[in-house]
Order: sequence, then C-alpha cells, then structure tokens
Amino acid sequence: MSFGDMSSDPTASSIFPRTDWAELGPAAVADTARLDRLIRLYWTPLKIFLVSAFPSLKDQADVLLQEFAEDKILKTGWLQRADPERGKFRDFLKISLRNFILDRLSRAEVKHAPLSLDELEVDLPAQEETLEAFDLTWVRTVLAETLRRMETDCKDPAAEQPRRGQIWDMFRIRLLEPVFNDAPQVPYDQLIASFGLKSPTDASNMLLSAKRIFKTHLTRVIKDYAEQDAATAEEIRALEEFIARLARKMP
Amino acid sequence: MSEFDSAGTLFKSAPKSLAAFLAAGEERARLWQPEELGAIFRHQMSAPILVDLGGFDPATAARLKTLTHAQSLLLTSFLDLFLHPVPPIELLTLTKDFAKGNMEHSDSSLPNEVAAVLYYVSIATAFLRLDRRISQLSDAELKRGLLWAKGQPWVESPIQNLLDEALQKLAQAGPKP
Repeated sequence: MSFGDMSSDPTASSIFPRTDWAELGPAAVADTARLDRLIRLYWTPLKIFLVSAFPSLKDQADVLLQEFAEDKILKTGWLQRADPERGKFRDFLKISLRNFILDRLSRAEVKHAPLSLDELEVDLPAQEETLEAFDLTWVRTVLAETLRRMETDCKDPAAEQPRRGQIWDMFRIRLLEPVFNDAPQVPYDQLIASFGLKSPTDASNMLLSAKRIFKTHLTRVIKDYAEQDAATAEEIRALEEFIARLARKMP
Repeated sequence: MSEFDSAGTLFKSAPKSLAAFLAAGEERARLWQPEELGAIFRHQMSAPILVDLGGFDPATAARLKTLTHAQSLLLTSFLDLFLHPVPPIELLTLTKDFAKGNMEHSDSSLPNEVAAVLYYVSIATAFLRLDRRISQLSDAELKRGLLWAKGQPWVESPIQNLLDEALQKLAQAGPKP
C-alpha cells in the first residue's frame, strides 16, 4: 500500500483490513476507528522514521507499517498504554514502532541466519537526524491537516459566522502566501477593496478571527492524539519549540 | 481568488518558513506594515469615543456620556480629546484603561502597537494639559514609553507634537513626587 493511499484519501478503506469489526465491542470499535484515522494521517512521518532508522528496510516500509498498525497497535491494547500523563503520544508511537521493527528483525535473525545483527547495528541508533526527520514531518502533517480543516470550515456554506469564506482568503493572502510562497504583501488599499472592508480595524478583526479559527483547528488536530487539554497545550509548545530550534539550525 | 495547496506546500516547506508561520499565527504577532498601522491609528483617532469606551460598566458609561455631552460636540473623537486644551481627566483615564485593556487581551481588535501608542498619548495628554499623572509609571518608564511612541513612523503630527511637548515638560519637571 502506498503513502498516497494512506493519507490523501480520507475515504480509503481501513488500515485494518483483516479486522473482524463485528467481533469488537462498541468501545473497541471507537478506539480502532480512531487509531485507523490517526495512523492513516501520520503514515508519512512514521514511514520517514522507519526508513531513516532502518535504511535497509526501505522497500518493505509500507508492509511493515501495515503490520505494525494491525498486529501491534490493534491487538495488544496499545492505545490504552499510551498514557498522556506519562509522555507524548508522538514519542510513544516512535518507540513502539522501533521496538516492533527490532522484534521483527530479531525473529528474522533467528529464523534466517543471513541477516546478521552486525548488519542491523548500522540501523539501530536513534540518530538525531532520524528523530528530527520524524518530528519535522509530523509538524508538517499536523499543520497541513489543520489548514485543510480550517479551509473546509471557512468555506462551509452552513457556517453561521458571516464572511467566513473571506476570513480564509484573508488568512491565505496575508499569511500563507507570503510565508510559504514568498508572495509579496498585498497592499492595504487592495485588501480594503477586495474584501469590502469598512475600516482598518475591520481588517484587523478579520485577521484576528482567522488566527483564532486556525488555533482552534490546530488544537483539535493535536487533541485527537494528545487527548487531554494539558497534554495538547504541552504538545503545541513542544512542536513550536522544535521547529524554532530546527529553523535556527538549518535554512 | 486562487487556491492554496496546503498539503503540497507544507510538505515542501523549510523549517524556517514553518517557524515563521507558527510565530505569525500567534494572535499578538506583528502582522501590519507601518503604513497600515498608520491607517489603523488614524482611524482610531477619528473613532467616536462613546463607541469605543462604551463597553465599560453602566455607571461608567453613563458618566462618559455626561462628560462628552458637557463638552458639547467638541469631544467626539479621541483626537478631539487629546487636542482639547482642558480635557476631562476621567475621559483620559478611561481612554488609558481602554488602551491598556487592549494591550493585555489577545482578543483585542486593535494591533498591540496602536493600543500602546493610545496608552502613552493618554498619559502624555493628562501630564501636558492638566499637569496630572494618571499612571503608576516612573519618570524613566514614562520617558521610555513616550520616546517609543514618538519613534513610531506611523505616528504623525499633531500627536508627534503632543508627545514632543510632553517629553520636554517631563525633562523640566524633575522627579515624580
């Protein structure tokens, strides 16, 4: 299964194709459905982590991830062990995946002598670059999902807030395009004309609304995996700090 | 208007851009160019006092109405208040509190820089026209604040002149009693 199948099509079939959903109780179904969504959303950072930590397994990455999701996460009450009080879900996922792969490799070593542990040693250390690659892709995934939800929300014709579609456009023109596409700042007069604004504070209000909507969705995206409010706030801070640190290190 | 490919763009973006985006996404982040802050400030100067300060409690709102009406139509905007030869001290204090509230609350619609200038101009006006101190700021803090406000390229005369005069008076006045 390719990454494209996993992340770009939210209606794609479950990541747990061998699961007999009828056998699961309602709570387990809810947990499994939630995991299904999370693993699908964060498939790319997981794959990057796997390939980066175990380069020799590059060609088997998708299959191993599929097995990790199905055999390890679903069948061992894994989600219940991801206690938000004891650490970040993100780190727990990384450690679980790493242990799963090591376990698989150890078993392969016993079964098939040709794959030596000496060979594996090259892969084993959790290099800083590996962890950074995972976290960077994680941040990108979180932000892309946040923006996707924000745009959908703003363009929802049933939304009660007036001018919500304009709020997305203001956010895009004023923030997204200049930051990510090096677009020039749209002159203020042009903004006034484009959005039919009454006053400068009207523009200020619209941009503030956009930033609040963005923050709301960012919080929701992270809360989907961090679960608790405190853990969500801590995760937002951690991701911001990580990206700021990485930006200082590399262009 | 054109579309923005969030996923495609984000996955190609450098950490520097991601960091800049996250910082700009903060509610208090600097988002306005100086000329835009100037436009917002000019708008605020011409805004009706009763509308902006009307959000205080009912007793204060009633008092506000009396004060502005007592000055007939002379006190309709913030600029009128700051340029009035004898502005009501209560109105200046309310304006200072309104500005401070906007500086402290992230849900304010006024950019922080504009609220801060409004704050220092209220204090400067009370000091210059009424010889009154309406804040707890020390002379050094007040001087620093007035110089900062005066240094904003989008603050034009007559507010620039007012800040200049207040700074001169502060220099001559000696330490705060």
